[in-house]
Amino acid sequence: MSGTGQAIATLDLVKVYGEKSRTPVRALDGLAIEVNKGEIFGLLGRNGAGKTTLIRILTTLIRPTSGSASVMGWDVARDPLQVRKQICAVLQENAVEIYLSVADNLDTYARFHSIPLPEIRRRSERVLDQFGLREYRHQKVIDLSGGLKRRVQVAKVFMVDRPVVFLDEATTGMDPINKRATIDAIRGQAQQGRTIVLTTHILSEAEELCDTIAIIDRGKCLVRGDLQTLKALSSRAFDMTITFDSLTDTILTELQQLPLLKMTHKLDTVELCVKGKELTAIEILNRLSRKYTITQFEVSGATLEEVFLELLDHREGGTT
Amino acid sequence: MRMILAVLYREYRIRTTSMTWTFYDLFMPLTYLLIFGIGFDRAFAGGLSTGNVVVSYNAFFLAGVLSMASFGIAINTSYGFFVDRDNGIFYEFLTYPMTRSEFLVGKILFNCLLSLAQASITIGLGVLVLRIPLRWEWLLFALTGVVLGTAGWFFFLTSFALRIRRNDMFNTFINVAYFVLMFASSLFYPTDAFPTWLRIVSYCNPLTWHTDVLRFTTIGIGSFTTVIAEAVAFTLFLVASFWFAVRTLARGVLR
Repeated sequence: MSGTGQAIATLDLVKVYGEKSRTPVRALDGLAIEVNKGEIFGLLGRNGAGKTTLIRILTTLIRPTSGSASVMGWDVARDPLQVRKQICAVLQENAVEIYLSVADNLDTYARFHSIPLPEIRRRSERVLDQFGLREYRHQKVIDLSGGLKRRVQVAKVFMVDRPVVFLDEATTGMDPINKRATIDAIRGQAQQGRTIVLTTHILSEAEELCDTIAIIDRGKCLVRGDLQTLKALSSRAFDMTITFDSLTDTILTELQQLPLLKMTHKLDTVELCVKGKELTAIEILNRLSRKYTITQFEVSGATLEEVFLELLDHREGGTT
Repeated sequence: MRMILAVLYREYRIRTTSMTWTFYDLFMPLTYLLIFGIGFDRAFAGGLSTGNVVVSYNAFFLAGVLSMASFGIAINTSYGFFVDRDNGIFYEFLTYPMTRSEFLVGKILFNCLLSLAQASITIGLGVLVLRIPLRWEWLLFALTGVVLGTAGWFFFLTSFALRIRRNDMFNTFINVAYFVLMFASSLFYPTDAFPTWLRIVSYCNPLTWHTDVLRFTTIGIGSFTTVIAEAVAFTLFLVASFWFAVRTLARGVLR
């Protein structure tokens, strides 16, 4: 065991699926990341980037092909049991005991994590309220909706207090109220010193929650840092919101000629994310105002979503 | 031990959610013995001749039913891996703080207890209702045989359940295994009457070894030496199956 402040560390981590097949898939390609104890770490990347593979390795579900990965100083390949004693996980797959009631799901999960019986009852009451599950407590999970099943699955990890929590797209399928409850619960856990590793496609969620974010693509870490660092990296992108007195197809066609990362419009307002320097924003506004009447405009720095799009776009060689 | 008990508790909670399951688990072999056994008992009114002994079909079939019940429990439990995998809970289990062996041992312990209850009911009512002449002094060995049989088949089938990804393929595998293993064994009839080739096949069949051991311990049919050899062979089969199942789990079920 290492005595450092890292909860998770990977070095040259490689995972190849179907090594002996004719079409092996290199899901992780020399990935190196570090997660400090007590931080909320966001793992972002497009579908197939390697996020779930990384979570599966760190939760000891699969073995790496080469390289090393450790959780709380324990090597996932050499000491998988010790790793499992440090973690709890919400996996991407739905994982609930469908034939058991909601309360029994919480109960059995806690037993597997060696929580004493009186404590199970106490925690169960708290978690049922926290996740709005009290009215369903005696219902069998098989009879619940998909969103509720996911809620039960997420609620389970809050029955135990392992130092590292993995949440693989935990809020998928939840309504906004329960998503909020989950986010608050995650924040509460982090305040108690637990390390949270989350993957999500909802970038605003990552932006709101994460202390550190890593964007991975094709099994490699493209960038890692706090939100400000990531935004600084993306100085070549900015947001524009322009309101015209009348938005026409001609204007939209002209706007589409710009180096866009994203464009949406509603009524007479267009929201753009443009690649380039802020000087370009002035040029764009100048050009447009000569031909059309602009009633309002706003220019701002990039959001995490734009950083994400820009970094991946850059890696693709400029194509969006 | 705490983890094994947690697995045991989980299996218990799930099984007791359905009365149908409970009935099937506890009384199905007895029902089989009462319906199928009695039917054949009437068809072979003069009894069955095996070795130099003539026994009633009910007495002969008792070991077959116990053996089939062990095999049946193992099939249901191995099929449970598909249900758990479909529900995603299987993968979550593998992230719990327990070893792969503890996971398998907990599951098998529950099933062994179940088979023990099932066998006790079947033997008890078989003796009372069908007047099967049981060797009471060997009862403990018979029950041990039932438990080890359940474990052996569970570990054997688990390895396949973990490796085969498709439900339909596993169903086909089970149907073929059921058909070949049960009918090419001493489960329903004495192997003395088999043609040579089928007798050789049945001697290589772990279900024959298991059934022969149970038949010897319940009604005393068979040679002691042969039964000991079959018991040793079945134990080796159990150990190999356990090793193979743990290895499959440990190497990563998602690969």
